[in-house]
Amino acid sequence: MKDLYKHILRISLTLMIVAVAIILGHMLWVRYMDSPWTRDGRVRADVVNIASDVSGLVTEVVVRDNQFVKKGDLLFRIDAERYHHSLEEAEARLQQRKITLALKRGQSTRRAMLDDQVISREDREDSDLVTLAAKADLDQALAERDHAKLNLQRTEVRAPVDGWVSNLLVRPGDYAQAGAAKLALIDQKSYWVYGYFEEHKLHLIHLNDPVEIRLLGTDIVLKGHVESIARGITDRDNPTDVRLLANVNPSFNWVRLAQRVPVRVHIDEIPAGVELVAGMTCSVIVHPAS
Amino acid sequence: MPREIALLDALMPTLILAFIAALLLYWLLDKVLVWLGVYQFIWYRALFRLSLFSCLFCALGLLIY
Repeated sequence: MKDLYKHILRISLTLMIVAVAIILGHMLWVRYMDSPWTRDGRVRADVVNIASDVSGLVTEVVVRDNQFVKKGDLLFRIDAERYHHSLEEAEARLQQRKITLALKRGQSTRRAMLDDQVISREDREDSDLVTLAAKADLDQALAERDHAKLNLQRTEVRAPVDGWVSNLLVRPGDYAQAGAAKLALIDQKSYWVYGYFEEHKLHLIHLNDPVEIRLLGTDIVLKGHVESIARGITDRDNPTDVRLLANVNPSFNWVRLAQRVPVRVHIDEIPAGVELVAGMTCSVIVHPAS
Repeated sequence: MPREIALLDALMPTLILAFIAALLLYWLLDKVLVWLGVYQFIWYRALFRLSLFSCLFCALGLLIY
């Protein structure tokens, strides 16, 4: 009888600790695999590609690499000589059109006073229209003058936002093509974090959930919240060929890699002394609000 | 507690630390249990030891995450 009790005790003690081990193991697995966090996070920022609005030689670059600039600060200057000349040309044309208008106006008033004996009715009527045409020519010259002025203004390329000049490669003597980006400006107020979460974790993430951001290899913790979740990513398994037919990748049936969906995190709090750099790697840990 | 640590510049899950700590703890606990003679009340000793280690490791892991 005593042996039986001892046997039951032995079996139940062993089974109990096995059960506890299984439960704890399962809890750890769920916590590790199914909680919304990722090591695959990136600090991002909006970058403005600065291009000149007019073409020409770059005569002067007034910023240094990685320099902070305020909105409206001069970045570089394009050779303005040609644009000065076109402005002068436009001014001259404007002057000429003004004189022409005065001439036509004079003729018109004079002809209006003459009678049919001296001038044909056709000529008299036309003179009014000729004046109007001269007025239109003057307006055109005026617009061209303003255009030339604007072009001259735009030879000075200015910063559209507060931020840092990055990877400055433009040098005096380069030729700047209108519209071709010459330098990058990182918007100071635009830093955010992209967390690339596995697709099966997305249902655990909600808008405005508080987020903890840890920069790679440091103890620096940033606070933020979920701002938005991407609503689409590329289907990598289905590119189209030149004949527009589907080209479906054969994939393994057993092992599937979860795809990553970007979740945009707004940064609320940066510890003093921490300078963020766009492109930094970080871990993103979402703490679901509920 | 950070979820990963830099070990000789290689980034590893902190679980590895928990694993090593659990090994040490388990080794000590095992000695104590042998000394107390608890194992005579155990059915399959190997199974018990494995479960004991799992419990320690998972409990430490749950503390971290």
